[in-house]
Amino acid sequence: MVMSMKQASREKGRPLASSLFAAILYVVMFVIYSINAPSAITLGGITDLLNNTIVLAIASAGLTLIILAAELDLSSVGVIAVSNVLVATVSTKMPAGTIGTLLLVCLVGLLVGLTNGWLVAFLGLQSLACTLGTMIMCQGIALVILDAPGGEVAAFIMNRLTDTVFGMIPVAGLILAVVVLAWLLFRRTRLGIAIYAVGTDAVASHLTGIDVKGTKLRVFALAGVAYGLAGYLLSAQTGTGDPRVSNSFLLYVFAAVAIGGTSLGGGRGGVIGSVIGAGILTVMQKLLFAVGVADFYTNIFSGLIMVVAILFGNLSAILTLHQRMPLTRHGDRGYSAQ
Amino acid sequence: MVKRDVSSLTPILQATGVHKRYGATIALEDLSFSLYPGEVCGLLGENGAGKSTLVKILSGIVVPDAGEIALEGQAYQPHNIVDARTRGVSTAFQELSLIPTLSIAANLFLPKPKVNAIGLVTIRAIEELTETILKQHAVFDVSPSTLVGDLSLGLRQRIEIVRAMLREPRVLLLDEPTAAIADREWLFGLIESLLARGTAILYITHRLDEVRRLCKRCVVLRNGRKVLDAALEDMTDDQIFSKMAGRSVVETYPIRESNIDESAPPVLAAHKASAAGVNDVTFRLRRGEILGLAALEGQGQSSLFRVLAGLVPLKGGSIEVNGGPVRLRSPRSARAAGIILVPEERKTEGIFNDLSTAANISIPVINQAARFNFIRNRKERQMVERGASRVDLNSRYLWPNINALSGGNQQKTILARSLLANPKCLLLFDPTRGVDVGTKQIIYQVIRKFAREGGAAVFYSTELDELVHLCDRCLVMYRNAIVAEVRQEELTPHLLLSLAAGHKIDVHGTA
Amino acid sequence: MEIAGTRLSNRPDMENTASPKVRFTVSALRPETITALLVLLATTLMMLIMKALNPTFGSLEQIAAILTTSIFLVVASYGQGLVILLGGIDLSIGVVMSIGGMIIAGLTNGSNQALVWAIPVTLLSCIAIGLVNGLGVAFLKVPPFIMTLAVATAAFGVALGLTAGSSQRTVAPALQQLMSARITGIPIPILLIGCSLIGGSLLQSRTAEGRKLYAIGSSVAAARIVGLPIEALTIGAYGMSGLCASVAGILLAGYSSGATLDMGDPYLMPSIAAVVIGGASVTGGKGNYLGTFAGAIFLSALSTIITVLSLSQGWRNIIQGGIIVVALTLQTKQWYLQKIANRPLTGQGSPNRALSQNSKV
Repeated sequence: MVMSMKQASREKGRPLASSLFAAILYVVMFVIYSINAPSAITLGGITDLLNNTIVLAIASAGLTLIILAAELDLSSVGVIAVSNVLVATVSTKMPAGTIGTLLLVCLVGLLVGLTNGWLVAFLGLQSLACTLGTMIMCQGIALVILDAPGGEVAAFIMNRLTDTVFGMIPVAGLILAVVVLAWLLFRRTRLGIAIYAVGTDAVASHLTGIDVKGTKLRVFALAGVAYGLAGYLLSAQTGTGDPRVSNSFLLYVFAAVAIGGTSLGGGRGGVIGSVIGAGILTVMQKLLFAVGVADFYTNIFSGLIMVVAILFGNLSAILTLHQRMPLTRHGDRGYSAQ
Repeated sequence: MVKRDVSSLTPILQATGVHKRYGATIALEDLSFSLYPGEVCGLLGENGAGKSTLVKILSGIVVPDAGEIALEGQAYQPHNIVDARTRGVSTAFQELSLIPTLSIAANLFLPKPKVNAIGLVTIRAIEELTETILKQHAVFDVSPSTLVGDLSLGLRQRIEIVRAMLREPRVLLLDEPTAAIADREWLFGLIESLLARGTAILYITHRLDEVRRLCKRCVVLRNGRKVLDAALEDMTDDQIFSKMAGRSVVETYPIRESNIDESAPPVLAAHKASAAGVNDVTFRLRRGEILGLAALEGQGQSSLFRVLAGLVPLKGGSIEVNGGPVRLRSPRSARAAGIILVPEERKTEGIFNDLSTAANISIPVINQAARFNFIRNRKERQMVERGASRVDLNSRYLWPNINALSGGNQQKTILARSLLANPKCLLLFDPTRGVDVGTKQIIYQVIRKFAREGGAAVFYSTELDELVHLCDRCLVMYRNAIVAEVRQEELTPHLLLSLAAGHKIDVHGTA
Repeated sequence: MEIAGTRLSNRPDMENTASPKVRFTVSALRPETITALLVLLATTLMMLIMKALNPTFGSLEQIAAILTTSIFLVVASYGQGLVILLGGIDLSIGVVMSIGGMIIAGLTNGSNQALVWAIPVTLLSCIAIGLVNGLGVAFLKVPPFIMTLAVATAAFGVALGLTAGSSQRTVAPALQQLMSARITGIPIPILLIGCSLIGGSLLQSRTAEGRKLYAIGSSVAAARIVGLPIEALTIGAYGMSGLCASVAGILLAGYSSGATLDMGDPYLMPSIAAVVIGGASVTGGKGNYLGTFAGAIFLSALSTIITVLSLSQGWRNIIQGGIIVVALTLQTKQWYLQKIANRPLTGQGSPNRALSQNSKV
């Protein structure tokens, strides 16, 4: 019954493959885009593109952590809304507005994330329905803080975060680089490894002694902070507060994760893929705009792209499964014969 | 290494009056036993006897309802698995607690792999360490960076065992450690070296020969109670078996009175059938026949059943029902052809947890009880009671929710449901697993009666005795293919086991 | 029979411990019914407290108004309930309601004659949206919340494109009368609510197809082995959800004598909340329409109270979201107790876990 070990080091680079696919797709889309809009390859164009990408990228990075741990989270749009209206209301009034507001929105994100995590991990609520509830609550809180679009974002946040440093590197690009670097380090921490373990098999993780509940709590908390940050950067882009973040943004966040190759079942994928996924979606939107497609078509398109992204994910899952089918099935019984 | 007292007078672990129940079922009742340093104690029992519960209690996953456990004279109440481990109790689980998406090295050191100053796991360091550890434990030819998901089942089980031994435990729990390992001597060698250090080992298994080989003493559980705790040399195999089963092995099977119809076309036949996990399978099942299937874990029996039930598509070859070719596209089309599966996973594939027992029985034929699509209560009740009486299911179990029932009664429910659809052929995948002895009797009788009345059954069981006593003929599967066919006169557990383990034995009439 | 004797002596424990549970479930009041009654009781209490604080509150007229306006939620959440019964979720209900209202308003444009063909057209187009949801979930295996959200976004885009966003035409007067007229002093909507409660309950709990929905929601794997038409029923449930949403949309258009592209939005989250409050399990297999109905009435009453207290939209959201979370928590406590009670004898882990995907960390 002992199998040969020939398959031992067969597939080291598998998770990279889907990121690689997304990266190639990104390049292709970008080329098409730059043909249609020549300004895309100027520094201004690239800065602009990165600025547009970064909110989605950071929100989907947060969601990626949650999906890796085999949970779902709809609260991103709620937290982003709260964070956005907070920046628009307090950043001009607070001393040390830039840093102070940043800390504030991260704290708010952390609180929402901890609440979600506590409800899901410790009270055992189903994450989809539960985060739907917290999402609505957050949207309500955003409306209470600011009942109509308006407010004012501190000029420093608006100008510096959307600009370039030394006249050549877009700040948004720097932030993205930091996110990617942080991820590369994070996934080598104990928590990073535990997230994959919990998402792959919570029962086995529990048996190995991993604190499954604690891991989930931390994941939700981290994601909350990421959403808060995304809201902060959104404010830098828009320069104003809007309590209603559209539900189609929620679709985009999930689409970015799915395109990036993270399995909705948990345990497979990573943040880098999601960042590229966010890039693809942003380029797509810009491309549609550049070729003059009407606004409502963008709605139709985003619905479509979401379904296609999921199908793509399903397809690769099926392909991997097929590869594995011949492996022996594991049971827990033996013969009672002598 | 700490030097330990190897005298067998003071137990290293002592459990007194341990009690555990899950809702309606008592998993452990008033269990007391001791474990001495430097000994291997065998823990035997049928499925559902309480062995797994005991393992879970000792390793801190489950908290007992009552009773006391002492470890080296001090109270031992582990809250979780890490707690148990720091107290020196380590477990190699039957279900294998490995994470397939992580490397061997990461798995070995979970949950707290070594980190460097800035909190990053030092992958190279733990891989080097793993390399040494694997060598020490005689696991060769595998790189520490390999993902566990890419390993064979046998290797995974080895890693699980190595991980449990790694922490230099004072008490080691091995739960069915040889289920997937062919080379048992590897394990026995490691056990010897642990014993030399004074570790106490609780060895849980189905296999009496392993217990005889390793242990001086064994404990037998039945229905959550300890029914035997004795030195092995005083006991014969038969005595131990009868303790485990609570019956004498020989006399409990219904008398075989086969009614095989040789003239009619085969109820179910496969010709060179192949699919994912099934290689070139050919067999014929005649009316009135019970065709046994013997196989060790994961030899394709599960896939074969799934193909026959229409759950997995056929890739090559053909399947015939009553002499005519059929395409089994889905369980629906299999049912239409009269083939009904009694599935492997009772909890997830068998029962509908939220429905009453009665609704569980009537669901596939509910339209027969409905007029204009509205269910007529009386008609449904009649149908359900008819089905229940065929499997001797007490009618007072019918109306409560099915999850209030014991495993045995749930299995009867599934059988009643299957019979209600008037099948021509039943596919029974280990129907007596985790079922009490009384229910087993009834299941045997139901299957026999079904065959006597002209039905046909394919019967896979992990209990070789059942195959020997119940079947008219038995196929043996090994590595996804049928390797032998054993006629009724030649059926013995020994023969089936050695065939299933892949030994080539000349049997008459090989398929 | 000798064998029965063996069995009984073998397992005395089962006989004793199972009986209290038996008595409980056999009695006429199933747990779901108790939940529904509790919710209705809570609604009454809430109204009484409001009345105590504010004597002008709670006139017969006001109660009739609450019931009348609850019809949209009562109808829409029936479809949501069926989908959740299957373990899914329908996030397109709000958009479909709006589209239903827009179509009926656009097609009738103030004429009663047009209703004859306008109503079937409206219903069919909304059912079609539901069917698309169902097809995606059943065959493409797209997770329900994504499929329905995607379809909702796309359908909204289509509606936006066709209407250019600004459409508020007049609805057929007959529809407006339907929502305001009375029969023997009882507003017609209240009668309609009664009909839909009875009809919906019968359909969900007394038909063979309804029983199958419960079975599928309880265990898809077992349903597949038993040969239930999982795909067809899934598509059917989403289609039914589209139908319910369009009926709610038509009624809403009649009530407000016009339609806008966002008029259904406020009903999406409450439709989920109503189902959850009513005791249905979000993972499927549990719940009935009486519970959902009670949940819808509760939310409508609450909504009126919020209006009376003149709380802002923000607070309305906060309360609604909070109620979903609280209802889930209350439910989970129950499940938790049950789970303990029904843990399997040996607690064996799932054996097919080991065969699984991989990726490298």
